Amino acid sequence: MQGGEKEAQRYVWDGAIPLQVHLHDSEVTTLPPPPPALILAPRIGYLPLLSSQLKPFFSGALPPGVDTIWFDYKGLPLKWYISTGVLFDLLCAEPERPWNLTVHFRGYPGNILIPCDGEDSVKWSYINSLKEAAYIIHGSSKNVMNMSQPDQVELWRSVMNGKLETYNRISSKLKLGIIEDDFSDKVNPSLKAPHTVNETEATTTLKTSRIPVRLYLCNTNQDFENLETVPPFETWDQISYINRPVELNKEGKYFTLYDAIKSILPEFFHPAAEEEGKDGVIKLVRIQGIEPKMEIPFSWVVNNLMNPDYFLHICVYINAGRPMGT
Amino acid sequence: MASDSPIASRKVVVHLRATGDAPILKQAKFKIAGTDRFSKVIDFLCRQLHRETLFVYVNSAFSPSPDELVNDLYDNFGFDGKLVVNYACSMAWG
Repeated sequence: MQGGEKEAQRYVWDGAIPLQVHLHDSEVTTLPPPPPALILAPRIGYLPLLSSQLKPFFSGALPPGVDTIWFDYKGLPLKWYISTGVLFDLLCAEPERPWNLTVHFRGYPGNILIPCDGEDSVKWSYINSLKEAAYIIHGSSKNVMNMSQPDQVELWRSVMNGKLETYNRISSKLKLGIIEDDFSDKVNPSLKAPHTVNETEATTTLKTSRIPVRLYLCNTNQDFENLETVPPFETWDQISYINRPVELNKEGKYFTLYDAIKSILPEFFHPAAEEEGKDGVIKLVRIQGIEPKMEIPFSWVVNNLMNPDYFLHICVYINAGRPMGT
Repeated sequence: MASDSPIASRKVVVHLRATGDAPILKQAKFKIAGTDRFSKVIDFLCRQLHRETLFVYVNSAFSPSPDELVNDLYDNFGFDGKLVVNYACSMAWG
């Protein structure tokens, strides 16, 4: 399974969203207006990092002033600290290719977006997310804070430039490798520790792992049959942002993606709701652009589909007017 | 469900700690609704200190995203019944 794991992680790192980026009408000072820019945006990357490619493309058309890049999708300003792949999975219920975004260099919506001073801000946000993940896993951020400056820079560059080998080499020093893959254990039962362990060993292996998860929850109040009919988001208030780690007990039973989501969102897995059958409230679960089967082992999902900040980002669409039973 | 309501209406005690050259506030403890976002804590501090930007951390370790719910931060990083928030005028923990 080792090869398979690397392959899935490689797919995540090589994943990119084809973008068609339009300059906002209010910033066009030339006739004819500039054509849209076509650009491949890495899934694990962040939109402001595209500035070096987009700015030269549009600079000739801009009015005088100071440039601060930001993007919107159908009028919704995009949060720059959410990776591009997550934004796409979240905001395009029916994936649109190319993804049509609007770029702005003026009029930064400071009431909606936190300030962004280019790459430094994005790096700062990434490192903070990594520290937060480390805190969840180990109960402290020390491993990340004690990283040497050159390692920190190299780690960030590996994320920015999609260099998986460098990332794996540096991030392994952080010792955040979280869990055993119980799927691989099942394929290779001989690798599993024998059951005749003494008391002390048993208590050490019973350690619970905490998996950092960021879950984006969209509650589409109306019934929709087709993802194309989901209306675009008008504000970020329509999306709940949930940060609850998933507790994994290594000695526990076979733990699936379904179990993990149920542990994060118990209010939507009311027994009565589950009895309603397949058509329950969960309409869509998307991680790294795929809609994984709910029966797959959660450990596989974490080890292969997590973002370089050690968080697993999950987009969930539900259809429930309100949480069950309230 | 009935068990949801205590969490939904929960108030979280936030302990503010100045770091570096940041001024110390008169009131270092306050209560905030768990359903509020961390941005509310940041805004409060910026207003109190009359500053446009501040570096705001949890447990002297990391800066959470302003979107995170105070409830989630308390559950993940709180201890002794409080959430420790450090603030600094310049970057304290890179």
